[in-house]
Amino acid sequence: MPGIDLLHVFQGIGTMIASDPLIAFARIALIALGIGLLYLGVRGTLEPLIMIPMGLGMASVNGAVLYLSAKEMGTIFVDPIASGPEKLLDVLQIDFLQPIYTFTFSNGLIACLVFMGIGAISDIGYMLIAPIRCMIIAIMAELGTLLTFPIAVAMGLNYKEAASIAMVGGADGPMVLYTSLILARDLFVPITIVAYLYLSLTYAGYPYLVRLLIPKHLRGIKMDVKAAPNVTAGEKITFAVIICTLLCLLFPVAAPLFLSFFLGVVVRESGIKQYVEFLSGTVLYGSTLFLGLLLGVLFEAGTILNPKVLLLLVLGMIALLLSGIGGIIGGYIVYWMSGRSFNPVIGIAGVSCVPTTAKVAQKEVHAANKFAMILPWAMGACVSGVITSAIIAGVYISVLQNTH
Amino acid sequence: METFGGAFKLMLFVYAVAAVIALLTAWIIKLIFFFIQKRNGRAAARQSAKHGPHATAAKAHAKSTS
Repeated sequence: MPGIDLLHVFQGIGTMIASDPLIAFARIALIALGIGLLYLGVRGTLEPLIMIPMGLGMASVNGAVLYLSAKEMGTIFVDPIASGPEKLLDVLQIDFLQPIYTFTFSNGLIACLVFMGIGAISDIGYMLIAPIRCMIIAIMAELGTLLTFPIAVAMGLNYKEAASIAMVGGADGPMVLYTSLILARDLFVPITIVAYLYLSLTYAGYPYLVRLLIPKHLRGIKMDVKAAPNVTAGEKITFAVIICTLLCLLFPVAAPLFLSFFLGVVVRESGIKQYVEFLSGTVLYGSTLFLGLLLGVLFEAGTILNPKVLLLLVLGMIALLLSGIGGIIGGYIVYWMSGRSFNPVIGIAGVSCVPTTAKVAQKEVHAANKFAMILPWAMGACVSGVITSAIIAGVYISVLQNTH
Repeated sequence: METFGGAFKLMLFVYAVAAVIALLTAWIIKLIFFFIQKRNGRAAARQSAKHGPHATAAKAHAKSTS
């Protein structure tokens, strides 16, 4: 019987002992963080759809480091920096998640698939009820997306990195992923993880912001649901086709996102049941599962040791906080414009975390006045927020893509 | 050179462009609505001239309850 080195049998532990102590510590910390995120996801404190696959992926990848050769350590999950046809072909045959990463992640396809699903579950009819008001709220709710940009530059990030982390203020996970993949490829993993982590927290944090900034008597303002005009499917399709074409014409770099979102909308309104079920079920949930899993396995020890990660955590928080405040200011602007008949809580729904922020708005209004119903307007503001976030992503990418 | 001042100017530009496009989108929606409602109004008027107001009302009632 040959001599057995136990550290070579249990290579996850062996590589931990053999590696730099800082890396070993980071691996242990990330395993604990992964389990923590998974637990909070299962409990429902954080968004379970993302946190469960991400947490498990994070814990697994940081445990499963092995010897790829005599000197090289790594995993057989995914290699995000593999480039060149030969190396890529090798990796595609070894790393089990590499095909999904190479063919859906690094080109932004997964973000577009999620967007198709979001389009298929979004009723843009709500937005058509009061388009100008919804857009004013949505523009104001982008305050974080814009103000975080110069703040991030002042804190030492370059323009591309600053624009990518500022997109967290748009509160749209796929949009953050898409923008950071194009503008800040080196930081797209921590930026997207920060985005999804904070987006999960909006459900818990935004109610406090609403209660802090809007007095109870204003939170309870009733809105006349019957006054809302009936919007037909044909009108929604006409709107989707015209706006999609216009936005693609203006921002070709973000055209995949516009096309994906409005394709979902048109499919929903055209009533092709099988397509609607496919996009809103299989595509949306399948992509979200793999998005979470891949983000988790990409979060290796090397990522957390990047000094910019702490900065990103702070900036992500600032972006979402400013966007929430901006949205509420937007709600107040429309409240004054409408002769004090508009419920300002709807402003928080302009932060386009579909449909979470709309639900937060309705929940807060219901707590103040159980007869008040604002969900149609909140969903309108939410969908407008998706469109304005995509417009801002388009402007940032168009302006910064070719700068050095 | 990437400075705070430059970033601030760029932010203002991005906000201005985004606001103009977003409001343009909202106005397009309003216009679409205006034309659709005008067309529907004309169609309803034609219908009522052809069959009388009672027939149009009965037809609208039948449509809403179907």
